[in-house]
Amino acid sequence: MTSMPVAANAPHRLRQSPRVLAQFMIAILIVAMLAGFSMLEPNVRSPRNLLNIAVQASYLAIFATAQMLVILTRGFDLSLGSCVSAVSVVAALVMTGTGLGADAPPGLLIAAGLAAGLGTGLAVGLFNGICTTWLRVNPFIVTLGSLNIAFGVASIVSDGRPVFDLPEAFSALVYGPGPAGIPIPLIIAVALCLLVHVIATYTVFGRSLYLIGGNPRAAAVAGVATRRTLVLAYVGASLLAAVGAIMLTGRTGSGEPNLGGSLLLPSIAAAVIGGLSLLGGIGKVAHAVLGALFIAVLSNGMNLVRVDGYVQDIVLGAVIVFAVFLDRFRAARI
Amino acid sequence: MTTLEPRLPALRRIRDIGLLPILLVLLAAVMIAAEPRFLTSQNVLNVLRGSSFLIIVAAGQMLVLVVGGFDLSVGAVMALTSVASALAMAMWPEAQGATAALSIAAGVAAGLGCGLAFGLLNGLCVAFLRIPPFMVTLGTASIASGAALLLANGVPVYGLPTAFVAGFGRALWLGLPPAIYAAAAVVLLMWVAQSFTRAGVYIFAVGGNLQAAVVSGIKARAYIILAYVLCSMLASLASLLLTAQIGSGQGSIGDALTLQSIGAAVIAGVSLRGGVGRVQMVALGAIFLLLLNNAMDLLRIQSKVQAIFLGVFIVLVVAVEELGKRREQRD
Repeated sequence: MTSMPVAANAPHRLRQSPRVLAQFMIAILIVAMLAGFSMLEPNVRSPRNLLNIAVQASYLAIFATAQMLVILTRGFDLSLGSCVSAVSVVAALVMTGTGLGADAPPGLLIAAGLAAGLGTGLAVGLFNGICTTWLRVNPFIVTLGSLNIAFGVASIVSDGRPVFDLPEAFSALVYGPGPAGIPIPLIIAVALCLLVHVIATYTVFGRSLYLIGGNPRAAAVAGVATRRTLVLAYVGASLLAAVGAIMLTGRTGSGEPNLGGSLLLPSIAAAVIGGLSLLGGIGKVAHAVLGALFIAVLSNGMNLVRVDGYVQDIVLGAVIVFAVFLDRFRAARI
Repeated sequence: MTTLEPRLPALRRIRDIGLLPILLVLLAAVMIAAEPRFLTSQNVLNVLRGSSFLIIVAAGQMLVLVVGGFDLSVGAVMALTSVASALAMAMWPEAQGATAALSIAAGVAAGLGCGLAFGLLNGLCVAFLRIPPFMVTLGTASIASGAALLLANGVPVYGLPTAFVAGFGRALWLGLPPAIYAAAAVVLLMWVAQSFTRAGVYIFAVGGNLQAAVVSGIKARAYIILAYVLCSMLASLASLLLTAQIGSGQGSIGDALTLQSIGAAVIAGVSLRGGVGRVQMVALGAIFLLLLNNAMDLLRIQSKVQAIFLGVFIVLVVAVEELGKRREQRD
């Protein structure tokens, strides 16, 4: 009889431990990769390169966090990359004087550009949210549609060409070194991730995301405002993508109609590698951040040890599959 | 409880047929009336040829969707197939004594081999490792396109035998390109399989209710793997046909086809939740997408604007069908 409690407890602990282990595993893997790469190439662990990795991860962390908001609800946002492109060119065009005239004061131009960029993100998010909830179209199809639409808008308004001559103050605002030499992208990313973490953990909206992802029907029966929550999730995702797009625009110094072309897959991959479940309802901002760091370290390391770009694709693909294979242990817990 | 049927039989028939064929006929009618160049044999042939590649890929995609999966790797598998088959053919050129038949056989084997390998990889990862199909095929897509670019070093592969290009890819059999016959054969075979064979029925059963299928003694894993293998091999087949038409191995051949194939399947009523789909409708969906493209080209709508139309259109068709389904359930 005395062994009963132990026996009853054991399966519970066993079910818990792989998940905890997997969470540590990704952090351990990141450190191990850093160590491995710096053995091959000492420059990897130079303070400058570490800061570099942090900045690279900042952008990806924002996009992965955006993806997290919708994946939590069992959705997807395929339109993220196109949305980034559209925001980039719209913001850049407004900042270079479309609408206000190039003579307007730079401060006003920048403010208007930021507003136009965020507005574009808002529009994409509303479209995604409204089509998935009110028209009840599968998120995959909705965001496949908005992917095409945003791509079309981006190439039409920019005529397929980059938009140059952004105000100098803009790049300084979203890209330059900030207080105490900390890069501004890093500051923005940390602030946004903390904000989303607080929202997801402590607000009714945030908890509703988990409920809907865990069991949509139960959530609706329990009185969760399913539609409003879903619309807000898609709007939040697109707004985060818009902020990331504005930051990237500041880095490249021009509005690029193809800025988000290769962002979609890494954004989903980072979230899932970090530990977000594609089945919905499970995941934290920390997962998205860890996943982003993982990909940033991997690609930075491969670049520095001069791995062929095509081979990098193959490695990344294999890593995605392997990382999600680990995710199976977490999924098995449900 | 009485069921509320639409009063007019005609209306009921329309509901049974579905939205897509009606839209297809409408679009064709409008184009015939509005644009004289639409009905020329050259243009019709172009649309049919273009859609036959998409039909083959979308038919494979349908199989994977039916078992409740996704295949995001079809485009990359097409790219790899194109490059690998072209390299194999160029390795045994006719000039060095090998016959064209040998060279072509090597190319086709290499191409279909790529499809088989990636189909098995996808299927095994989904069925045995139980990794979500979205992520598996995302990963294998990255692997396949990386391998394609690596093999070809990012440039087209030339040196295909003329018997393969001029004698097959660009040839006309009874006035029609071979790709059309291939697409028709694929659709016909799949229609026969889904209607009359045990494997066809089982694949739908696995997608419709996995647990029920397993309890009924169906080897679900085997059928899931079969669906992925067929999907990848059909993508390879489409790629071989396209490579023969283009005349060189291209590492970017299938870029647009992944999402297009899913789009064609979905507007044809294939459910993303699995278990539902008819190959003849998927073929119509593929033809419709190409027809829409062609119509917009003829009406000189910029390709950028076309992207917007296409996006709105896909969402709209699925929304209307979803609405119809809900109404049916209410009835």
